[in-house]
Amino acid sequence: MNVTTKPGADGGDAASVSKRHLSDISVMVAGQGGDGSLTIASLLSQFFASHGFHLYSTSNIASRIKGGHAAAFLRASVEQTGCMGDHIDLLVAFDDEAVVNAAPSMAADGIVVFDGSKGPPPEGVLAESVQVFSVPFGRLAVRDLGRDLLKNCLGFGIVSRVLGIKDDDAEGSLRKRFQRLPAAVVETNVEAFRIGLQSAEEAGLELGNSPWTVDSGEREEHLMIGGNDALSFGFLAAGGRFYAGYPITPASEILAWLERRLPAFGGVAMQAEDELSAINLAIGAALTGTRSMAASSGPGFVLMQEGVSQLGSAEIPLVVIDCQRAGPSTGMPTKVEQSDIGTMINGGHGDYPKVVLAPTDQGDAFEIGAYATNLAQRIQGPVIIAMDRALSQDSTTVKPFDLEAVKIDDAKLLSREEVQKLDEYRRYLITDDGLSPWAVPGTPGGQNLVTGNERNEWGLVSAEPKNRKKMIDKRERKIESVRDDLPKGARWGDRKAKIGLLGFGSAGPILVRAGIRLADAGTDVQVLRPRTIWPVLDETLAFIEECDRVYVIEYNNAGQFAHVVSGAGADKGKMVSMLKYDGVPFRAVDIANFVLEREAEGQ
Amino acid sequence: MTKTYKPAEPIWCAGCGDFGVQGALERALIDLNIAKHDVMILAGIGCSGTLQNNVGTYGYHALHGRVLPTAQGVAFANPDLTVVAVGGDGDGFAIGAGHFVHTVKRNPNLVYIVMNNSVYGLTKGQDSPTMDSEGAAYGLDATRLALSIPGASFIARGYSRWSHQLHELTVAAFEHARAKRGFAFLEVLSPCVTYNDTYASWDSMLDNVDDDPNYDPTNMSMAFTRGVELDEVGRMPAGIIYRNDNAVGREVPPAMSKQNLDPAQHLDSYGKIMASYAV
Repeated sequence: MNVTTKPGADGGDAASVSKRHLSDISVMVAGQGGDGSLTIASLLSQFFASHGFHLYSTSNIASRIKGGHAAAFLRASVEQTGCMGDHIDLLVAFDDEAVVNAAPSMAADGIVVFDGSKGPPPEGVLAESVQVFSVPFGRLAVRDLGRDLLKNCLGFGIVSRVLGIKDDDAEGSLRKRFQRLPAAVVETNVEAFRIGLQSAEEAGLELGNSPWTVDSGEREEHLMIGGNDALSFGFLAAGGRFYAGYPITPASEILAWLERRLPAFGGVAMQAEDELSAINLAIGAALTGTRSMAASSGPGFVLMQEGVSQLGSAEIPLVVIDCQRAGPSTGMPTKVEQSDIGTMINGGHGDYPKVVLAPTDQGDAFEIGAYATNLAQRIQGPVIIAMDRALSQDSTTVKPFDLEAVKIDDAKLLSREEVQKLDEYRRYLITDDGLSPWAVPGTPGGQNLVTGNERNEWGLVSAEPKNRKKMIDKRERKIESVRDDLPKGARWGDRKAKIGLLGFGSAGPILVRAGIRLADAGTDVQVLRPRTIWPVLDETLAFIEECDRVYVIEYNNAGQFAHVVSGAGADKGKMVSMLKYDGVPFRAVDIANFVLEREAEGQ
Repeated sequence: MTKTYKPAEPIWCAGCGDFGVQGALERALIDLNIAKHDVMILAGIGCSGTLQNNVGTYGYHALHGRVLPTAQGVAFANPDLTVVAVGGDGDGFAIGAGHFVHTVKRNPNLVYIVMNNSVYGLTKGQDSPTMDSEGAAYGLDATRLALSIPGASFIARGYSRWSHQLHELTVAAFEHARAKRGFAFLEVLSPCVTYNDTYASWDSMLDNVDDDPNYDPTNMSMAFTRGVELDEVGRMPAGIIYRNDNAVGREVPPAMSKQNLDPAQHLDSYGKIMASYAV
C-alpha cells in the first residue's frame, strides 16, 4: 500500500505510479447505506456515457431499507462487455469496511480514493502496489459546506483528477446529472466538486499530472436499461395489458414498471394479496383474451406452480417470470443464482406442455418478453422466462430496440365473425398441431367450458381412458408445432473449436469474456448461450456433439442445467460442470483458469 | 347458430341444496334478460364447483380456493361480462379465506354465491370452516367477516329451502354487480343430505331480516348488532344483511380485453418510453 496524503518534496508520490491509459475500467464505490455510493457511480456513468463508452452497472446491497454496507459498481469500456471486469481498478471507499471488502478484488495496479475523515485507511489490507489517495472529503464537506452528503461531489472532484478528466468536462457531467434539481442545489454541488479539485491538488493530483488517463469510445446512441425494465417493455410492446404480482426481490421492478406504464395503454398492473392470487388474477384476465403476465422470484414462483399446471392443462396463455435469486427457501434474496431450473421445467404437477426461455442479456430481455407474449397466445399455455438477479436488476448499454419489428400474433383466437360462421364449436377440438381454435367469453355461439380437469373436446369432464390419452397427446403436440420457431441461442467463437462453454442468462456475457481470455492464452473455445432452456433444442445437443469437451457453467450447486441437457440426450461424458453458488458473479479470469487447468490435466 | 356444448346434468344427490341455487341463478338470468354468451360462471372445487357445467354459459373450473382472484381477473379485463363466482364454504372460507378478505376490500363488480353446507361433501364428510362442532370449534360466520372489511357493499344470506326469497336475493345480487356497485356476496345455506343434513336445524335457526320492518340493511351497525345478538341465542340472520347502494365497484382501465394492441398505433408512445433510457 502506498498512501499519498500530500505531495512529496519531489512533486509527489503520485508521479511514481505507473501511468495507465484506460479503455476498460471497473469502479467500486462503497460505504454505509446512505453515504451516497450511488451518486459518485452515477456521476461517473454520466461522464463515460457522454464519452462513448459502454456501461455496466450493478450494486451490492443488504436486504434492508437503509444502512448496512452498500456498494455501487460501474464498468465503463470502449468495447461492449455486458458484465463487470475481473478486478476493481478504482475504489472509492467511504470507510475501512469498504477497503476490506474490496481488497481481494483490487487490481494490483489499482487506485483507492479513501475518505480519511476518521483516520488513515486500514493497514495491511491492500497490496503494496495499490496506490491510495487519502483525503478527508467527508470532513471537508462538513467544514466548508455544512453538509456531509456533499462529500459525494467532493469525492467526484478527486476521482476526476485520478482519471485525468478535464475539470470542465467533469463539471459538465455533474451539471447534466443534476439538471433537474434547483439551480441553487446544483451550484452547491459544483462548489463541493471544486473543493474536491482543490483537495486533490493538495494530495498530489495536479491538473495534467494524473496517474491515469481515459480513452474515448465511439458507441452510437444506446439504451442503459435493466433486464426487468426491458422485459416489461417487451411485454407491453407485444400487446401485454394485464399484470399481477406480489412484491418480492428481485422481481419488484416489473410490478413498478408496469404499474407506471400500462394505464396509458388501457392496461393495468395489480398488486395481489399473495402469489396464488397473482397468478389466478392473471389467469382470469387471460381467459378474456387479454395478454397477461405474472412474475415472481423463487419462493413466490413456487407458490404459483399450481397455477402453472392449470395453464398447461386448461390451455390458458400466460407469461410467467421467475427472477431467480439465491435459494433454497428465503435464501439470499439479493444474490445471483440459477437454481430454479428444475422448478421451471418440472415445478407444476402432472404432464403439461411448457416453454422456458432465457434472455441472453438485458437487451434480449425485450426481445424475449415480446416473443413470449405472442408465444403464450400461440400455444395457449405457460411460457416461463428464466431471469436471474443480475440479469433482472443490473443495467447495461444495449442497442435501441427495434419497435417496428414487434408484431401481434393472435394465432387461433377466433373473432366474433369467425365463430358465427362455424356450425359447431368445441373448445378442446383435437387437431394435428394440438392447437384448438379459441373463443373468448362474450362471443355469441362460442360458449365453452374451460377446466383443468381432464375433459372431452366440449370441455365436459371425462376420465374415459382413450379420451385421456388423446388429450395428453394433443397438448404435447403444441410444443412440437412451435419447436422449430423457438429462439436459437447466441453463439461466439470459431464453430470448429473443440472446447465449448455452455451457460445462459447473466452468466453468458462472462463466458464470452472468458472465451477472449482463453483465445489470448492460445486455447480456442466456442460459446453457446441458449435462449430456449426447455424444450432442449437440437442446437444444444449438436453443440455438445461437435465439441470434445463442454464446460457447463451455471449458478447452482447441483448442475441443474447440465442435468437437463444430459437428460435430453447429450453425452454426459463430454460435460464438465463449473458451478458457483456463493452469491457472487463469475469472473472471466476464473472461468478461463478453470478451463486451462482441466485441459492441462486432460493432456 | 353455432352449436356448442350441451349443458351437463347435475352430479348432486337428491335433496341437495345446490339444486335450489342453480335454479335461482338460471331464473335470475332469464328475469334480467342476460344472454348466456355474456355470462361467465367460475366455480371452485367441490360438489358446488360443478354448477358451471349445467347452465350453458361460458364456464371456468378454478383451482381450489382461487375462484375469487380468477373471477376478478375476468371482471377487470372485460367489464361487459356478467361475472359469477360460485363455490363451497371450504373453497371460500378455508383454502380461499385470504382471497375472500381481499375481494371484499377491492369491491370488484361480480357476484359470489357460496353454497354453504358446513361440510366437505365431495371428499366424504370432513369438517368445514363453518361447522360448529359443539365446543371443539366455532363455525365461521362469513357474513360478519365480510361486514368487518372496509369496502363491503352487498352481503346477503339465503336458504336453499326458501326458494322464493333465494330467487329475490339472487336477482338483487346480480343487479348490484351489474349496476357496477361492486361485490355482491350471497351465502346460501345449502344442506348436504348425505354428510351433514342440516335442514331441520337451519329451519329453526334462521331469522329472516327481510321480513322485519324495523331492520335497515343500509345500516352497518344494525347489521353487526343483529348478527351478534342472534348468534348469542344460537340463531343467524337471513335476507339482505347489508347493502350500500351508493357503493362504487372497482373498475380498472376500460376493458383491457378490448384495447387496440397494434404496435404500429403506439410507435410514438413506445418510442418515448425508449427515449427515456437513451445514453
